[in-house]
Amino acid sequence: MTDTVLKLDNISKNFGPIKAADDINIEVGQTEFFALLGPSGSGKTTMLRMIAGLEKPDTGTISISGRDVTNEPPYRRGIGMVFQDFLLFPHKTVAENIMFPLKMQGASEKDKRENLQWVSNLVHLEGLEERYPHQLSGGQKQRVALARGLVSRPSLLLLDEPLANLDRELRKEMEVEIRRFQIELAIPFVYVTHNQEEAMTMSDRMAIMRDGKMEQVGEKFSLYHDPASQFVASFLGSPNAFEGVVSSVEEGIAQINWFGHSIRARAHDGLQPGDRAVCYVKSEKISMLESGGALTGVLRDIIFKGQYADYLVSLGDGHEITVSGAPMTGLKKGAPMHLDWDPGKADAFRAQGGAQ
Amino acid sequence: MSSNKRLFWWLVAPGAIFLILFLILPLASIVVFSFWRTESYTLIPDWNLDNYIRILTDWTYIKFLLRSLSMATIVSLICLVFSWPIAFFIARYGGKFKLIYLLLTSAPFLTGEILRVTALQQILGPIGVINMALSTFGFEPIQALMYTNTATAIGLTYLWIPFMVLAIYLSLLNFDFELLEVAKVNGARPLRAFWEITWPLNRAGSAIGVVLVFIPTLASSITSKFLGGPNGALYGNILANQFGSTGTWALGSAMGVVLFAISLIVLYIVWKMVGDLKRSGVTIKGGAEL
Ligand SMILES: Nc1ncnc2c1ncn2[C@@H]1O[C@H](COP(=O)(O)OP(=O)(O)OP(=O)(O)O)[C@@H](O)[C@H]1O
Ligand SMILES: [Mg+2]
Repeated sequence: MTDTVLKLDNISKNFGPIKAADDINIEVGQTEFFALLGPSGSGKTTMLRMIAGLEKPDTGTISISGRDVTNEPPYRRGIGMVFQDFLLFPHKTVAENIMFPLKMQGASEKDKRENLQWVSNLVHLEGLEERYPHQLSGGQKQRVALARGLVSRPSLLLLDEPLANLDRELRKEMEVEIRRFQIELAIPFVYVTHNQEEAMTMSDRMAIMRDGKMEQVGEKFSLYHDPASQFVASFLGSPNAFEGVVSSVEEGIAQINWFGHSIRARAHDGLQPGDRAVCYVKSEKISMLESGGALTGVLRDIIFKGQYADYLVSLGDGHEITVSGAPMTGLKKGAPMHLDWDPGKADAFRAQGGAQ
Repeated sequence: MSSNKRLFWWLVAPGAIFLILFLILPLASIVVFSFWRTESYTLIPDWNLDNYIRILTDWTYIKFLLRSLSMATIVSLICLVFSWPIAFFIARYGGKFKLIYLLLTSAPFLTGEILRVTALQQILGPIGVINMALSTFGFEPIQALMYTNTATAIGLTYLWIPFMVLAIYLSLLNFDFELLEVAKVNGARPLRAFWEITWPLNRAGSAIGVVLVFIPTLASSITSKFLGGPNGALYGNILANQFGSTGTWALGSAMGVVLFAISLIVLYIVWKMVGDLKRSGVTIKGGAEL
């Protein structure tokens, strides 16, 4: 990457026996929106805290704009951070909260006023400047927290689940706005969330974390469509999982015997015939055919979700598959279903703990 | 509703009766006596203002009052400065031993006041550890430590510092230390972060601590009696004399009323300070108001 702002090299951090970060390497570029996604306890917050200087890595180096800051205290790193639970200063007004970073830098009164004006326009906080945090709604507090992170035009902004405490409506609105700020400011955002929809909506690139390790880093499309590990395949989207024994592998496509059905998917982990494998197919990648198909069953239920619907298909032997598609009025419960998918859009991995 | 009310009175009554019997009544009688006069160890009820005129115009009394006021101010400030780091580190880094550390700071209270003061005498006095050690090695003893106001101030600080630590500690228990991390990420050095965030948000703790130290120091007499030497008498010593050897109870009562009035003024000032904070709507964790 030519315009790298943030660079982590071989970062590891243990809390006693817990590996909160395990040999992490990432680079984030100048205008990038980088999402850090992972289940609870996977080490996302720890990562941000290390970048901010609130936690010291056991090994590895962190550099910002080419400067090694691994041993710098937080107040010398010049980054902004938006915390999960807002953490506004309760005894300071909105204006004082927002201007705090500038005050710490010793900015002039004129500078502070100008930047306050600019940032409160950006996040739509005009007229609330003299209020105290307890007089604000959740969404307004969120915007103040964002404004405080942005006001000093940091070289990098870290955001730790900034929308987790907001209701859905407001979250949707803020997702769009945050993305807009990032484009407007042209600085990198590192955005932690465990909401994959949020990560997909806003980011350019994503990293999936699990137990302190980076499972996969890349463009959001490639992570979604070309998962490199079983965890990523199972984590993103709402996939169906099929576990069985590989009967053949040809041209990268594995044939898997799943309760007598033959299932096809891209082979990962060097799968060989005879291996136990688990195959993931995202629900929207399964097509419903008039006849034939790899799997047949009957329609048990339709869950209408608005723009799309989930079709629950029973396969007679007790298994159930979810297929997502456009809502159709013609289909009735009990209708025969023929399902198939492009094997290039499904992924098979070596089953965890499965025999060779 | 009415049964709730009755229960309320049953619960409140014992404490209220206790307070009336042992606080309000004696206080009221002292106020009454302060307008009487004493003659040959008897109180004579002819109402007059002579006691007040005397203690508020006679330089001797004013001098002792001023000495006690400055002693109380200095001791409160020293306690405040010393207690903050102690309370802060216990609250922030005490972990599961917090309570034990806190109790350790009040270890001096395990002995009585007299014992504590005499223990200090053993350290500070002319035949105390410090000066004995100095003279053993051929140095002059430190005059400032022997029967002076400095010795009294040290003794009083030692006496009241646990209250100050406790008040600040309790305030810090409700303080969100994460706010300090926010301040640091936003460019504040540790001391600046303290001044901008920790101090203002815990002003109530400091204020209560100051009240708890200032008021008893203002009235104190035992410490200065043991450590202060012949010229170290404070207002409290003079006051005690009125009820002892001289037997001028009416004058002593008036001195007591003056002390009480000053204490009320101090309380009012402190209440105002905390009130300022309250206006910003600061609530402690859990939403309770200050
Ligand atoms: N100060 C600490 N002391 C001990 N263990 C810690 C500490 N901070 C974090 N951990 C542990 O490190 C792991 C990673 O924690 P972290 O807070 O980074 O997770 P996270 O991905 O942010 O999770 P969440 O989505 O729930 O916020 C967890 O197992 C956590 O218990
Ligand atoms: Mg977290």
